Amino acid sequence: MSGDHGSTLISAQVRHVETLLEARGLLDAGEVDTRIDEVLAGGTPANGARIVARAWVDPGFAERLLADANATIREVGLSMAGGLQEQRLKVVANTEDEHNVVVCTLCSCYPIALLGPSPGWYKSEAYRSRVVRDPRGVLAEFGVQLPATTSVAVWDASAESRYMVLPRRPDGTADLAEDELAALVTRKGLIGTAAV
Amino acid sequence: MSRINDVGGMAGFPAVVEEPDEPPFHADWEAHVFALNGALIKRGVYNLDEFRDAQERLPVERYLAASYYERWFAAITTLLAEKGVATAEELAVDDHGH
Amino acid sequence: MTTGTDRFAPGDRVRTRATDPAGHTRLPRYARGAVGVVVERAGTHPLADDRARGLTRDAQPVWHVRFAAADLFGGGDHTVTVELWDDYLTPVEDT
Repeated sequence: MSGDHGSTLISAQVRHVETLLEARGLLDAGEVDTRIDEVLAGGTPANGARIVARAWVDPGFAERLLADANATIREVGLSMAGGLQEQRLKVVANTEDEHNVVVCTLCSCYPIALLGPSPGWYKSEAYRSRVVRDPRGVLAEFGVQLPATTSVAVWDASAESRYMVLPRRPDGTADLAEDELAALVTRKGLIGTAAV
Repeated sequence: MSRINDVGGMAGFPAVVEEPDEPPFHADWEAHVFALNGALIKRGVYNLDEFRDAQERLPVERYLAASYYERWFAAITTLLAEKGVATAEELAVDDHGH
Repeated sequence: MTTGTDRFAPGDRVRTRATDPAGHTRLPRYARGAVGVVVERAGTHPLADDRARGLTRDAQPVWHVRFAAADLFGGGDHTVTVELWDDYLTPVEDT
């Protein structure tokens, strides 16, 4: 949090509007704080990592996840119902033949209820403009080098679905426990800008 | 007409920059804006599509100069005024933060 | 899963509207007037364009439509799959 005049002014503006709305009965006292706590507590990339790890060890779970993600994530105690309304989750699996990467070119749609707030780069015009046009170039800048034999599928979250990538299980992980597997999965892996 | 948010395939933006260990919100006010928007939508003051539309209708120069949550806040105040919840004067804060 | 009254089914070729929209829309400019293939039905929802005007409308199907980058941009070997409302799409007759 910076102390520069810019953010001090907007802080005051936001506070002013909240006060006004409370006075007009459109906001309850403490409602904003409660919502902030909920989003920070509810959504985290660790949720996505848990889903991925389960999919890696349980092929039936993986199959159900790809067919109906909303129902299947409930099997591990997770849901997409934490936001304004339950959003449709689409999980897309990376394979040797195809690598998936997710974007919202029109704004910044992201499975916040599951993964928490999105990173700044995901929201940036830089990412949103380029990844649909040159995904291999963008992936290379993120350090993801794909062989020419692996095709790239970009998913643009233009409507009501929210997307999560199911990365490929890394080699040499056969002996890892499920929680150790989950620890390998990064937020970028869940978006498609990392291998895992 | 195509709007400033519709950037897929558009040239001219800088390289993608990752911020290491980025916090979910960079300032308290950002978290407040996030939560405030959710509260107003839940109450039916406006819907999510109207919220996106209000951002997209910001003047282009203002849109590009604003940070992500500054755009959100601008859209919220636009809608509060348009929906008759408050006037622009009531929503404004003077230079001394009052 | 598709129903008997759906306009489209997976595998159908569809063309997106080319019209320049008057207001808010969720058909990206880069995908306007393009031919793609329906991947699957992706649920139903009222049209965003109408919701943005505060209008209440019935839900309509939303489709995942896959486009070849070459058809969108004239280059690239990747695909872009966009989630599009039924109203944005017209069928393409295979000739």
